Amino acid sequence: MTRHRTRAVRTLAFLAACAFALTAGGAGVPLDEIRQVLREQALTAPAESRLHDLDAANLAIGLQAIDPAARYFPRALYRSPNQGRDAMSGIGAELLPSGDDLWLLPFQGGAAATAGLTDRARLRTVDGRSIADLSLDEIAQRLRGAEGSRIVVGVEDATGGARRLTIERRSFRPLDVELVQPGAHRILRVREFVAGLTRPALLATVDFIENTATHQPEHAPLILDLRDATGGDLFEALDIAALFLPEGAHLATLVARGGVTKTLRAPAGTDLEQPLILLIGPGTASAAEILAGILRDHGRARLVGQTTYGKCDSQTDVRLSDGSVLRFTNRAVRLPSGEHCSGVGVAPDLSVDTATLNDLSRLVPRAIGAAHVR
Amino acid sequence: MKPSIGWSMALIALWLSGCASVSTDPREGGLAGGIKGLSTGAYDARIQEREDRLAVLRQVQGELETEREDLEYTKAQRQRKVAAERARVRRMNRDIAALNRRVDSLSASANRNDQRVRTLRTRVPQIQSQSARLQSDLDALEGSGLGDSEADLRRAQLEQQRASLQAEYDLLNQMSLDLAR
Repeated sequence: MTRHRTRAVRTLAFLAACAFALTAGGAGVPLDEIRQVLREQALTAPAESRLHDLDAANLAIGLQAIDPAARYFPRALYRSPNQGRDAMSGIGAELLPSGDDLWLLPFQGGAAATAGLTDRARLRTVDGRSIADLSLDEIAQRLRGAEGSRIVVGVEDATGGARRLTIERRSFRPLDVELVQPGAHRILRVREFVAGLTRPALLATVDFIENTATHQPEHAPLILDLRDATGGDLFEALDIAALFLPEGAHLATLVARGGVTKTLRAPAGTDLEQPLILLIGPGTASAAEILAGILRDHGRARLVGQTTYGKCDSQTDVRLSDGSVLRFTNRAVRLPSGEHCSGVGVAPDLSVDTATLNDLSRLVPRAIGAAHVR
Repeated sequence: MKPSIGWSMALIALWLSGCASVSTDPREGGLAGGIKGLSTGAYDARIQEREDRLAVLRQVQGELETEREDLEYTKAQRQRKVAAERARVRRMNRDIAALNRRVDSLSASANRNDQRVRTLRTRVPQIQSQSARLQSDLDALEGSGLGDSEADLRRAQLEQQRASLQAEYDLLNQMSLDLAR
């Protein structure tokens, strides 16, 4: 699967190259405007020589030499991170390359989940063909298909159990907060933070659990699965942290150009008092790991899993005069402890091995057991 | 004669052993069983038993009917809630469109570099598109099988999201009015 990962990187590079090709050899890229925005607003002022070196043909490389998170989106290819997930037609699962494996991550209520795939599983075959000698692109291509068509996938769950599933592709929009139940406990799963949408969806889901609980033990912890949360809107994540903290609690400090800081504190509002467990892992990134770090620093949540990705910076999207968009880093985020997690990640209170991390039915009892011991 | 008596005894024995297994239900036991049932009062007991069972069945049927009515009422209530949400989102969509036009005129005014105008320019189109998404999700939900867990969760999330977007719209609208003064 290392090969898959390498190919994925190659594929992304290829797509990026295509995107830039659309701008006709650079004639359409507003380079001077890009230089000006970075010169004035980037977290760290770029060297003039680097700005000068930017050229349309190699813009992705040039931008990343200045800021690893910087991206340029031609107008037609830009999609705001605050739009949430679109309705999709297909098998209702994401593909996640990890180590030597390719995992299928099903969405609650999607076609794969309806066919019986309720938790992540390694993908082994597609329509009887092994994926071992297929590229990521080829696999994705085989998984896609028209609504109503069927596909047979061979999967292996985290414990090694193999099975074949027939999935009928259909149209579907993922929930903003999913509610999954791998055993006795229900888990809230967040995959991204969308401004104005994720917090209310989380609140509604917590209410839903309380209103539909039949044998919920008293003081049952709320379990938030952030293993696949790759980030999103920082302020939405901060608003969610504030749900679990008293008014005035230190959420984070934003550091801008020149060390200018702004301290953010929890506003008055809803207080959720349930004990809280966060499931985290290497896929937990950016806004998601900042949320985990804040709640850990306040002793408000127990973190279970593995160290997070390690990106505690915030990017902004600036629309340029031709409608294209430049994304770049404009703030560093310091956790309440003063820690900056970029390059380091947020460590769990309870570490588990990778096999357990990938298996909710084992991970959740470990997490709850550890919470009780505490 | 002896052989003839022997056969008669054997027949009686068979007949009696047949009787032993005959049901007390006159419809099942044939003539002899029916006579036996009537003469012992078992028939009345059987009728009473049937009536008792019928009463229980009627009670269960009544409970099921009440449950069905409750479910239909709950489903109708949910559908009404979805319809009400759709109406609220439609109103909100119109309000946000009007706000968007006001933001356009603010952007062209002398205030265009004000941080609040920049916030409005960024966020208003976003909530406009999010609100349109809620509208489409509620449309899809109206024809769905409300009552199953996932549909109910989706409805609960959409309601809360609509309320949250409405609150944000109110704030942004107030901000735009302050700026327009």
